[in-house]
Amino acid sequence: MRKKKVHEVSIALGMVDELMNIARNNNAIKINSVKLKIGRMSGIVTDSLIFAFDAIKLEHSLLSDAEIVIEEVPTVCKCEDCNTSFQTDEMYFPSCSNCNSLHVRILSGEEQQIENVELEI
Amino acid sequence: MCDTCGCGNSKNTKTVDINQSLLKKNEDAAIRNRKHFDEKGLLVINLISSPGSGKTTLLEKTIEKLKESISIGVLEGDIETELDAERIRAKGVPAVQLTTGGSCHLESALIHKGFHELEKRIDGNRLDVLFIENVGNLVCPAFFDLGEHIRAVLISVPEGPDKPVKYPRAIRTSHVLVISKSDLLPYFDFNIEQFKKDALSLNPHLRIIITSAMTGEGIDEWCEILKNGLK
Repeated sequence: MRKKKVHEVSIALGMVDELMNIARNNNAIKINSVKLKIGRMSGIVTDSLIFAFDAIKLEHSLLSDAEIVIEEVPTVCKCEDCNTSFQTDEMYFPSCSNCNSLHVRILSGEEQQIENVELEI
Repeated sequence: MCDTCGCGNSKNTKTVDINQSLLKKNEDAAIRNRKHFDEKGLLVINLISSPGSGKTTLLEKTIEKLKESISIGVLEGDIETELDAERIRAKGVPAVQLTTGGSCHLESALIHKGFHELEKRIDGNRLDVLFIENVGNLVCPAFFDLGEHIRAVLISVPEGPDKPVKYPRAIRTSHVLVISKSDLLPYFDFNIEQFKKDALSLNPHLRIIITSAMTGEGIDEWCEILKNGLK
């Protein structure tokens, strides 16, 4: 587990370290849940991240019952060529829904954040 | 809190707002690396590409051109083997092989360790340019800042012209796009103008260099960036 890793495993390992720090700083006896904000375009496969987290969390008693709650953020873009704003569910980089240009600014959808953590204290 | 009514809600819970990047651990380490490189006056280039695009070959050609004028060090990332580091050392340049043992990308903490190892090997001598050759993969390496100053992505002609739109993150996070194996253009259906247009749409600031290690095309232009930075 610690060796073979796609980026979701690395991200889960980093996240677990952060969660343990947060739990210690707050004198928590348990971490109940962690809320993540993941953009559709972030390139993070949420199923892989949860799979990795569920395997790693068993190594830490504070974390072993913790659940991940994911808020998926849709991709919202604005075309730099024709100014059209549009939303898309596609995972890949979007072209403008109006003029097909790839010169598109991403307003949201690249998020990869820990929003909050629920602790038992 | 509620011990009497039987709702079971007797535990004290607290929600702590974090609002930080999931990649914070690597990002913090990358900031430390970059600071360290800056203090040493070192230009650091992170080379990313699919396996077989020609990263090591580009390095060999670069070393041949620049070895006399600037001092170069290399950190070689691979899942297994010392093969690439040996190729670089054969050119007379210090190289440390970083084997990830299965991981498909390099991370900042490993770069930190590898750089100290490299410093030991050069015995206090100064380096001008450090190359980090990432693990061959166009997906995961794009997520991990290593503390580099320039990220260069290689795409070789045989891979096909659809790579920028298929791997947008690699294109969007890079400063330089090196098209490699240009000597093969006559044999492939590869519309270079469309390729450039797609890449620049994804990243308007991208510097694109067409190269061939066989004919030497573009190698001088690439070396110019290493000598004088991105202008």
